[in-house]
Amino acid sequence: MIEKASKSRVIFVILNYTFMIVFGLICIIPLWHVLMASVSDPRLLMGSSGLLLKPLGEMTMKGYGMVLRNKDILAGYMNTLIYVLSVSVAGSFLIAIAGYLVSRKNFRLAKPLTLFIMFTMMFNGGVIPTYMVVRGLGLLNTRGAVILPGLMSAYFIVMMKSAFEQLSSSYEESAKLDGANPLVILFKILLPLVKPTIVVIIMFTVIAQWNSWYTASIYLPRRRDLWPLQLFMREMLIQNDTSKIVTSSGEANALVNMTGNLVKYCVTIVGTLPILCAYPFAQKYFVTGITLGGVKE
Amino acid sequence: MRGGKGKRKAGKSSWKHDLLMNKWLYLIAIPIILWFLVFHYAPMFGMVMAFEDFKPQRGIFDSQWVGLKHFVDFFTGPNFLMLLRNTLVISLLGLVIAFPLSIVFALLLNEIKCLKFKKIVQTISYMPYFVSIVIICGLVKEFCSSTGFVTSIMAKLFGIEQVSMLTNPNYFWAINLLSDIWQNLGYSSIIFVAAITSVSSELHEAAAIDGAGRLGRVWHVTIPCIMPTIVTMLILKCGTLLNVGFEKILLLYNPSIYSTADVISTHVQRLGIEQAQYGYSAAVGLFNSVVGTLLLLLSNYFSKRYADTSIL
Repeated sequence: MIEKASKSRVIFVILNYTFMIVFGLICIIPLWHVLMASVSDPRLLMGSSGLLLKPLGEMTMKGYGMVLRNKDILAGYMNTLIYVLSVSVAGSFLIAIAGYLVSRKNFRLAKPLTLFIMFTMMFNGGVIPTYMVVRGLGLLNTRGAVILPGLMSAYFIVMMKSAFEQLSSSYEESAKLDGANPLVILFKILLPLVKPTIVVIIMFTVIAQWNSWYTASIYLPRRRDLWPLQLFMREMLIQNDTSKIVTSSGEANALVNMTGNLVKYCVTIVGTLPILCAYPFAQKYFVTGITLGGVKE
Repeated sequence: MRGGKGKRKAGKSSWKHDLLMNKWLYLIAIPIILWFLVFHYAPMFGMVMAFEDFKPQRGIFDSQWVGLKHFVDFFTGPNFLMLLRNTLVISLLGLVIAFPLSIVFALLLNEIKCLKFKKIVQTISYMPYFVSIVIICGLVKEFCSSTGFVTSIMAKLFGIEQVSMLTNPNYFWAINLLSDIWQNLGYSSIIFVAAITSVSSELHEAAAIDGAGRLGRVWHVTIPCIMPTIVTMLILKCGTLLNVGFEKILLLYNPSIYSTADVISTHVQRLGIEQAQYGYSAAVGLFNSVVGTLLLLLSNYFSKRYADTSIL
C-alpha cells in the first residue's frame, strides 16, 4: 500500500519520532546520571544539584574501590548469587514436573491437581499467616526462608502446562511402546522439547530474585550475614546509612558524609550492572514469555 | 441403589487402577502437593488467627478466640477510611492513567516504520523495569530531596518550597504515579505491541479500500482486534487493585506522609511484622484477600458477559 503523505501525516510522524526520542532519553538519563556521579569528585558532588551528563571534576574510581573492598557488599553479592541459583534451578525443575503432571491426559489426578494449583492464583493467605508458617517451620533467620517459599508459582506452572500440551503425543507414544518409564520419557524426550519455555521461566526467576528484597527483609531480621545485596542497598539508599561501609574503610569523620554520597552511586551501579548487561540478550525470551501468558488466540 | 453402589465401586477401582498405571506420576506429584500445602494452603488455614488473640507461643489451636473483634476494630478504627481511600486512589490512578498510556504507547510504537529505530526505543523503554525497586526508590528519594533535581525544577516553575517533596503529603500520589509510569510504561506495552503485530494486514487493506483514514483504521480495526488482550489485562489489573505496588510505598513513605501514602498492605506490614499484632493484621490481610478475589471474579464475570472474554 502506497499512500500519499499528507501534511498532517508528516507532522504526526515528526511528532511521534520526537516523542520516542524524548521518552527514550527520560528512561536513560537518570541511570546515566548515577553512572556519571559514581566517578565524580566527591567534594564537588556534595554541593551539586541537577543531572550530571558528565563526571564532575576529575574522574575517580575511589568509590568503586571502597565498594569492592567492602565485606558487606561482597557477602551480599555471594548471598544474592546463592539465592538466585538455588531458586532458579530447583524452582524451574519443580515447575517443569508440575506442568508435566497437570498436562497428562491419562492421569486421574491431573484435573484435581490443576484446580488445587490454580486456586492459589485467586486466593492467598496473606503476609502474616505465611510469615507464621515460615516461623513455625523454624526457617526464620535461615537461607531456607528466602529460598523455599519462592520456588514455584501457579502462573509458571500454567505456562509449562500449555507448553507440554502443544507437543505432539507421538513422541511419547513411541517411547511408551518401547516400554520406557514415564520419568525417563519426561527427562530424556519431553523436557528438551519444552526448553524455550523453561528458559523463559528461569529468566523471569533470575531477574525477580536478583531484585528481591522484601522476603529477605522480613525473614532475615537478625542475620545480616545472610542478607542479599538489595538489603544492603536499601540500608544505604533508603535508610541513608552509609556509615558502616565508609568508616570500615578507615576514613576520617569529616569525610564520611562526602564519601558516603559517592559510595551510594557506586553501589547502585554495582548492583544493577549485571542485570542491565544481561537483559538485551534475554529480551527476545521475555517477549515470548509475556505473550505466552497473555495474548489469547 | 444397587446401581449407585456399582458406580461407586467402579470409581474406586479405576482410581486404584490409575494408581498402579501411573505410580511414577503419583510419586513425583508428592513434593509438588506438599509444597503447595505448606506454603499456600497452610497460610490459608492460618487465616483463622484473624479471629483470635493470636500468640505465637500458643499457636493457632490454643490462642484465645475473639470472633470478629479485629474486624470491628479495623472498620471502626480512625484510619480505616483513610487507608481505603489511599489504596483505591493509588491503584485507580494506575488503572485510569498508566494502563491506557501503555496501550497508546504501543499504538504509537506501531506507527514507527523504521524497524531499527523501533527496536532501539523498545529496548531502552524496557530497561527501567529491570532496575530493582530499591534502586528506583533510591533515585526517587534523591531527585525529590531538598536539593534534588526534581525539587529544584518544581521550585523554579511553580515556586514550591525547597524541602524534600517526600515529606509533603500532597505530592505523594503524583510522585508514585509518575515513577510507576517511568519504570513500567515500556514493559507493560510489550503485550499490546505483540497483539497489534498479529492483526492481519488484510483487514487494514480492506478498511483502506473502504476509505478509512489512518486514524479510522486504528479506531475501527486495530483496537477492536486487540480488545481481548486489553480486557484480559484489565481483569488481571482489577484482581490486584488492592495490592498496589506496596513494596515501593514501603520504601518511599515516612510518618509525615502517612495521610496519603499509607495503604492497607503497608498497614498490615507495619502492625504485623514490626509491632507483632498478629491477629489484627491477619484480619486486615484477610479483608484485603477476600475483596481482591471478589474483584477478580466480578470483573471476570462482567467481561464474560459483555465482552465475551474471560480468564477463568
